[in-house]
Amino acid sequence: MALWREPYSYDFAPYADRPRIEWPNGAQIAFWVAPNIEFYELAPPPSPTREVWYRPEPDILNYSMRDYGNRVGFDRMADVMARYGVRGSVSLNVAVCDHFPEIIERCCELEWELFSHGVYNTRYLYNMTEDQQREIIRHARETIKRASGQELDGWLSPAISNGETTQDLLAEEGIKYTLDLFHDDQPMPVKTRSSNRLVSVPYMMECNDVPVLNFKNISPRNYIEIIKMNFDRLYAEGEKSGTVMCVPLHPYLIGQPHRLSILDEALDYVTSHDKVWLATGREIAAHFEANFYDAYVDWMGPFNAEAQQ
Amino acid sequence: MSAIPDSYFDYPLRGKGYDHDRYTARYLRDLPMFEWDGGDTLKLWVCVHLEHFPMDMPASPVKPIGGMDRPYPSVWDFSTRDYGSRVGIYRLFDVLDRYGIRATAAMNSVLATRYPTLMDDILKRDWEVAAAGVDMGHLHHSQLSEDEEAALVGESFDTLRKVSGQGVTGWHSPAHSQSAATPDLVAEAGAKYICDWINDDMPYAFKTRAGTLTQMPLSYDLSDHKIIGLQNMPIGDYEYQLGAAFDVLRDESRTRGGRILSMSLSPWAIAQPGRIGALERLLSRFMNETGVGSATGEDLRAQWVALGLDG
Repeated sequence: MALWREPYSYDFAPYADRPRIEWPNGAQIAFWVAPNIEFYELAPPPSPTREVWYRPEPDILNYSMRDYGNRVGFDRMADVMARYGVRGSVSLNVAVCDHFPEIIERCCELEWELFSHGVYNTRYLYNMTEDQQREIIRHARETIKRASGQELDGWLSPAISNGETTQDLLAEEGIKYTLDLFHDDQPMPVKTRSSNRLVSVPYMMECNDVPVLNFKNISPRNYIEIIKMNFDRLYAEGEKSGTVMCVPLHPYLIGQPHRLSILDEALDYVTSHDKVWLATGREIAAHFEANFYDAYVDWMGPFNAEAQQ
Repeated sequence: MSAIPDSYFDYPLRGKGYDHDRYTARYLRDLPMFEWDGGDTLKLWVCVHLEHFPMDMPASPVKPIGGMDRPYPSVWDFSTRDYGSRVGIYRLFDVLDRYGIRATAAMNSVLATRYPTLMDDILKRDWEVAAAGVDMGHLHHSQLSEDEEAALVGESFDTLRKVSGQGVTGWHSPAHSQSAATPDLVAEAGAKYICDWINDDMPYAFKTRAGTLTQMPLSYDLSDHKIIGLQNMPIGDYEYQLGAAFDVLRDESRTRGGRILSMSLSPWAIAQPGRIGALERLLSRFMNETGVGSATGEDLRAQWVALGLDG
């Protein structure tokens, strides 16, 4: 079977002279926070594609590191966000609805959005048929509806384990926005085989606590600089056409006592600016879809007409 | 492409709480207000790792931080770690003595017989001796048979109890590595607490086939093992992170209830001459704050159990 040479999920769009995106109330930037609320299984089924754990199982070091987020980190993180009036858009392993319903209750009390990050973070989409992936999408929709009454609008593949046609399936199953693509600082139409619209919303790996703190071993005192510098530039550029800034978080990292002040300082900084729209993922996707999706498709056409022959 | 079987969509352990029965769900926010003995709200738990890294130690299946990084015979690695047990620990004694801190010495048992003078100097300070396996070349993991592992656990406790004369009620699995049986085996050997799981800032009850242990919070993210040994951060980043953790836990201890700040120290890492000053500054600040004291792991375990908060 031939491997795909690219995702085929989006067209080229130069970051110059784009149709002007306008956010509500004259905001220059849509700022959103995406806490990943996850459950990693102690004894997960094996995956043909990747090792699940890093040490021989039970990998109690890595399991318990992540468990910290649910026992301790979530509440600390939520307390800080509530203080600044910043709602979360939760990238949710939906099994958390069953394991820790108290966490879901608090998310609902805080009027946070819940979207799907698969069932467990130890069950990947890798190697799944399209029907199997559809089952996961539907299962996520039903679980979120049952636990919170919310509709499922957004998607981030569990452990970013998407397959070649996952974006097509998301559109066909009625998902409104995806976070699996990291190609832009503004929302974009996603190309799928479906006639349903799917919007890509920026989910900034550059500001995600896992790559920053776990993979790159950057100190917390540099992480706050990273967040501020990204914000400053996107805020300034948003004067021309609205930008998006996302801070993806994991309560097991940001909710540690030696890191909590990063979140506090970041939210203090962002909310001290006037032209910021404190939004959820769903709100950003819906605003773009309703107002700018068509304009972007039309504008992007000429750049890609030849390439698509 | 390998097919995903239907069983991949079964979730037999999906239900309220955990996918194992070692401990139950508890949210830190639900702990009530309380104070530790002496009216302190925040206790420092200083846990000093006394480790021996044999030059012929294996690099798999789990390589501990501080393991041999270079080809055999790595005299560089061996002697750098051994430095901790002859120079670093004495530098650390000086600093901790100054603040009246009695630490828990989580010891590889080979050190008790290898360096009897070191053991004497630990006991002279009335530190707690806790068992931390035999040496860093004998980690606990699921590729050991239960008999092999039981022998290691037994050797560690027997040696340390005999040489120290203490009860030795604490266990730290070197490199935070356990097999599925480790908690059961250490409970059978008479341990009262473990400090290997890193999922909480406070103690909690941990079930074994030989009764209930207390799982004590020993931070890995804030250990010098991780920050200096693994992440290679400058000492300023260590100092920043410990200071930030202290601020948050001290505030929480006053408004939400008693807390523990664990300091997981390795003499070969933190007690280098260019690093020890950061520890001095931190302890000077911590120990001069109102409501802050220090205690050993066993002291804190006993106080915790007496509070009856494990539900």
